[in-house]
Amino acid sequence: MIKLSNIDKYVDSKFQRVFILKGIDLEIEQGEFVTLMGPSGAGKSTLLNIIGLLDDDYVGDYEFEGEMVNKMKEKQRHALHKKEFGNIFQAYHLIDELTVYENIETPLLYRSVSSSERKSIVAELLDRFNMVAKKDLFPAQLSGGQQQLVGIARAIAGKPRVLLADEPTGNLHSNQAKQIMEVFAELNREGTTIIQATHAEENAAYGNRLLEIVDGKIEEDKILIK
Amino acid sequence: MWKNYIKIAWRNLLNKKGFAFINIGGLAVGMASALLILLLVQHEWSMDRFHHKKDQIFRVMNRAEFNGEIHVWGSTPKPLGPALKEEYPAISAFSRFSTMDNLLFTVGEQKISSDGAFVDISFLDMFDFPLLEGDKQVVFKQPTDIVITQDFASRLFGSADALGKTVLVNNQETFTITGILEDLPSNTQFSFDYLVPWSYMEKLGWSDDYWGNNSVDTYVELNDQSDPQVVGEKIKDITKRHSNTEETEVILHAMPDWRLYSRFENGEIAGGRIEMIRLFGVIAGFILLIACINFMNLTTARSEKRAKEVGIRKVVGAGKMALVYQFLIESIIISALAGVIALGIVQLILPYFNQLIDKDLFINFTSVWFWTGLLGFVLLTGVLAGSYPAFFLSSFMPTKVLKGTFRKVNSKVNPRKILVVLQFTIAIILMISTLVIQKQIRHGKDRENGYDRKNLIYIPLTDDVKKHYGVIKQELINGGTAESMTRTLSPLTEIWSNTWGIDWEGKDPDDKTVFNRFNIDEDIVRTAGLTLLSGRDLDLDRFPSDSLAMLLNESAVKAMGFEEPLGQLVNDSDTDYHVVGVVKDFIMTNPFEPIEPLILAGIRSGNWTNVAHIKFNPSLSTANALANTKEVLAKYNPDFPFEYTFVDEAYAQKFESSQKSAKLAASFAFLTIFISCLGLFGLSAYIAETRTKEIGIRKVLGASVGSLTSLLSRDFVLLVVISCAIAFPVAWWAMSQFLKSYAYRINLDWWLFALAGIGAVLIAVLTVSSQAIKTALMNPVNSLRNE
Repeated sequence: MIKLSNIDKYVDSKFQRVFILKGIDLEIEQGEFVTLMGPSGAGKSTLLNIIGLLDDDYVGDYEFEGEMVNKMKEKQRHALHKKEFGNIFQAYHLIDELTVYENIETPLLYRSVSSSERKSIVAELLDRFNMVAKKDLFPAQLSGGQQQLVGIARAIAGKPRVLLADEPTGNLHSNQAKQIMEVFAELNREGTTIIQATHAEENAAYGNRLLEIVDGKIEEDKILIK
Repeated sequence: MWKNYIKIAWRNLLNKKGFAFINIGGLAVGMASALLILLLVQHEWSMDRFHHKKDQIFRVMNRAEFNGEIHVWGSTPKPLGPALKEEYPAISAFSRFSTMDNLLFTVGEQKISSDGAFVDISFLDMFDFPLLEGDKQVVFKQPTDIVITQDFASRLFGSADALGKTVLVNNQETFTITGILEDLPSNTQFSFDYLVPWSYMEKLGWSDDYWGNNSVDTYVELNDQSDPQVVGEKIKDITKRHSNTEETEVILHAMPDWRLYSRFENGEIAGGRIEMIRLFGVIAGFILLIACINFMNLTTARSEKRAKEVGIRKVVGAGKMALVYQFLIESIIISALAGVIALGIVQLILPYFNQLIDKDLFINFTSVWFWTGLLGFVLLTGVLAGSYPAFFLSSFMPTKVLKGTFRKVNSKVNPRKILVVLQFTIAIILMISTLVIQKQIRHGKDRENGYDRKNLIYIPLTDDVKKHYGVIKQELINGGTAESMTRTLSPLTEIWSNTWGIDWEGKDPDDKTVFNRFNIDEDIVRTAGLTLLSGRDLDLDRFPSDSLAMLLNESAVKAMGFEEPLGQLVNDSDTDYHVVGVVKDFIMTNPFEPIEPLILAGIRSGNWTNVAHIKFNPSLSTANALANTKEVLAKYNPDFPFEYTFVDEAYAQKFESSQKSAKLAASFAFLTIFISCLGLFGLSAYIAETRTKEIGIRKVLGASVGSLTSLLSRDFVLLVVISCAIAFPVAWWAMSQFLKSYAYRINLDWWLFALAGIGAVLIAVLTVSSQAIKTALMNPVNSLRNE
């Protein structure tokens, strides 16, 4: 599904070129649950952004479902991102001025989903995450875990095939973190491909593949057997 | 989607009330002033454009050369209109228009004096002045038929029906009211309470066929197939053909141009009020632009707060255009709110504005055009204000803004700073203009005008006053009311007649210098307080032949080239006058223009006088003197109400229009400064807020409040200083142009510029430092704790 070949990402400063990613070769199949681990600054988030089509400033080839992403026009790439990817962040990144309901609804607005369909999708998601009673609250009125649940609900509202999570539990207590990871596992069982970046060893256990990233390179790539 | 946009716009406004207040308030004030100006522009634009024959109707103007200069003027000979219609089939109708001032109308006990005009029968066919009652075809059947406006009808008859009633005019003639006109709209140049047919003028014997007497306005209607250019070329020489002596050409002036393009230079249209309209349009645009700049600056300054939202929206699938739309809609919502407030402000201020510009503007809330216009205006403002922020905000990269490290680098030159400079440049230019205009007016007012305006009035000479003039004068002077009194052709502050046809010994036959005329009987020097340079005043008691005597002003002596003016003979209209005195130049017309040569001729029979000037006894209070005068006049002029004008007030009138523009300029300057400062205030508040941490650290390290305040204010003040540097040359150029139109004018002193510059800097410092001091005084413990 996703195939990266020889991806380099660097920034040029005055006297030298600093590589953030160097020679990344990676293939991810549909339905995998991949965990990226590594120290801060290793390039995990950058790799996620490249995979999620949010960053196109790199060298190398990126194939998605057989199509060359790096040869695509901005418009096509944007359409592809909208169709296939959902993003989840460490800091949740909900829109403060919108309620829970409206936050979840937002991606559907950009996908021109009809009003009645929107209602049923959002209702279903609220129900699934037990948030029906909180649908009219604003993000500031929720706990971190609840906010992240809204974040997940929003990410999957558009029914993407790939879910990208950047330190999704970094700001959460362990109990809340566990709840989130279980949701991920369940989504993965339903067929969603998940790629998460994390520091936490215990989170990796929910996935079925672990990539160790150090200094912009894939140091280790192992299959986890449960 | 829309609901989502509107919701988030609304919640953003509620969350940041101060920001919203400055944004909407500034925009509303800007929009209100632009709306006011647009109302004025619209009014000027609509002048006499409501006539459905506006493209076929032309005013016939005279054009002739004097002393190498081609003049164009509107008064034409009486036979011109009929001759045009008769000789040219392209001209389907004509009407002359000759004003009549101060006719006395008597209905029972009711006496009203009022102004109207003689017109030809096709007048009401040509122009759209609809009749409420009466039939347009037959209203002018008899010479004594009269058509009056509804307003005049109700003044004469109250609520009673006026049609068919009779009215006594000037105690001479009984007229029958054959039509009631709808009151004239405010957007016409015509002004009359009543119309009487030309046949009445013929009946009075006032009509003549003399092609050299330019005294009436002539309007023609071309049939709809004629090309005005072709017709204009054909009729050009009609006056020359009918008269052996006149060398005037006639030209056609199109109706839509009457108001806006009425200035002729060298015989061609050179402009007119359109220039003022354009200037106002530009000023309206500037004020609106300044208000929009506030919006842009405050919105982009707050971009860090919106950056996260932009990033999130992009990640969840928003395209760039979707975000551009979102922010545009947001700014249109704000502009709509501002528009509603602006409408309220306009309604509130309109009476004062009307007073200022002496107009009767109003908002026609029932007009579809008004609402479409307003909608367009709101949309335009919203897009103008919102486009830059929209593209700016929507261009954020989500990977950068969501990492949390997003911070706009405060570069040396950024659009925000440029916009602030632009705002203040405009504001400073307007400030300088205001100062220059004020000073120029003061300059004109302080100019020595050459006569004594104190305790001096003039009254119109009605037939009765003329008849009893000798007794009236005697009673006023003997009774101690007046010191002296004189009859003149026109008020001291006006010129009613001029000529190039006078002759004197040694005149160059090609000399066509125009001399102003001012007929006088006697005692003008004493009454008006003129300065006699040589010779003596006219005195009919001692020198009965003084009805053929003449005074000259200095400029006239110079124009005639007399070395010894006294005793010279000057010939005007086949009459020789002997010059008995020379008076110092005095200002009768425009106080900003050089004084023109003036001949003050005695009143031999045939030299008309129209007003009498009365110099009150200075030992009497003005109120008493007026009461006495009224009493005397009531005795001899019982039919007319006591009418009088103070010469000093009439003189002050000369400054009214320039004073109005000065007031307008001052208001605009104040508004631009106000709106600019509002923006600066918002911006400084925001900058201070984002720098609280820095200030806290500096304070902990030992910085004083003073140094912190200057640190925070310095940048803004620098921007205003840069604005001065740009504004000064522009203002200097613009004001030099402005002053060129005044012959008698001030110099552009450097201190005017310095004053405006210092003023702007001071205002900016006051605006910015309040925020800076507030931030500098904050306890660093508070500002650092939350990090």
